[in-house]
Amino acid sequence: MKKESNAPFNPCTKIVLLFLCIIISSLLSSIELELIFVFIIALFCIINKKTKFALKGFLIYLVVYFVSILTVQYGSNTLRSLLMPFLGLVHKVYPVCMFSMLILSTTKVGEFLSAMGYAGVSKKITIPLAVMLRYIPTVREDWRYIKDSMYLRGISPSFFGFIKNPALTIECIYSPMIIMASKAADELTIASITRGIESPKKRTSIIEIRFDFHDVFALIAGVLITVLVIYRRFFL
Amino acid sequence: MENKDKLQVRDLIIIGVFSALYFVFNMVGGMPFGMNPVLTFYQPMGSAFLSGIIFVFLIAKSPKKGTISILAIIMCILRLATGMHWAMAVGTLLTGIVAEFIAGSKNYKSKKMNMFSFGVFALGDIGTFLVYFIDPKSWSDAMIKKGTDITYIESMNAAAADWMIYVIIIGTFLVALISAWIGMKLLKKQFEKAGIV
Repeated sequence: MKKESNAPFNPCTKIVLLFLCIIISSLLSSIELELIFVFIIALFCIINKKTKFALKGFLIYLVVYFVSILTVQYGSNTLRSLLMPFLGLVHKVYPVCMFSMLILSTTKVGEFLSAMGYAGVSKKITIPLAVMLRYIPTVREDWRYIKDSMYLRGISPSFFGFIKNPALTIECIYSPMIIMASKAADELTIASITRGIESPKKRTSIIEIRFDFHDVFALIAGVLITVLVIYRRFFL
Repeated sequence: MENKDKLQVRDLIIIGVFSALYFVFNMVGGMPFGMNPVLTFYQPMGSAFLSGIIFVFLIAKSPKKGTISILAIIMCILRLATGMHWAMAVGTLLTGIVAEFIAGSKNYKSKKMNMFSFGVFALGDIGTFLVYFIDPKSWSDAMIKKGTDITYIESMNAAAADWMIYVIIIGTFLVALISAWIGMKLLKKQFEKAGIV
């Protein structure tokens, strides 16, 4: 029996769309256009049933947008040189990051792996990639614990602590991080070998990965927007 | 049994976990520099300094053919997915392959070669600046069109003399070597005895 996937889109579709998104955001010529683009991404989030995420993402971008317009028009020189580099970086990476986060939150590891296998990507790439995506949040959690225990020993995990006592700080940050990471890697290995990841045969999946009408529609829409942006950028 | 020199599932998972660490440390090291137009040229050094230890440990843990290339491919994908400049992603990929050959020439066991290999790998981050120094004007235009503020570019141009590129390349290389050396020390002191490697 096959279970239908919760997310409406095929992971492959999402990755192709992400790629288009990278191209588009590197070609956009003004922040007004970028605002529209973020709006489109927010719409796509709503289609993916992530209404809250869409609203949050769009509102944050709106704030960034107005702050940057205000600083450009009314800010003094010092304020501009303080804020603009930061805002510039945000503008540069915002759309792509938003889209990546959407993909992360809507794609399960199993779906991702089976879709990649379906698309013919080698296991040597997909397994590390999937492990990595799931491990990044753990790194943040570990860091919080390490910070606490460093305070307990009276070592400051900040930049000044590093200047004061570089060798000890490096040791106290890296040793637990690396030990936790290698423990986690061992456990994950055991778990995945138990589930038969080493089997040379093609894996089947309970989640049906389909390529549906709305995938085609989303791809066509993405390609159309890309073509439009390329046209605007180079031929107008 | 399968060939021991080939990548097993265990190695793949180790690469996955450590590329997560590598990415986080790389970000943390580069962030404070990337936001400031004058300091932005030192961003590869910051990244290299924090991530070298992870790199050395990864090679020690899984000294097999393909480890560095897969790390490079994953970093390349991540750079693209977080909206960095394309040259950074391509640079990482290229230097990753070169670093693979360097470390592979001594079967990933030689400490000197591993250090040298990370020195080369860290140079991948300077792809953006290479593009910048080859043609500063069109680079600035492209970045302004992309939404970067003009004051950022201007102060960047002011901070960038022609000799800067050499400082960046040599500096990044040296910082990477130092970082890898610290990693080796740490490895010897903490992990070899504990039997984690």
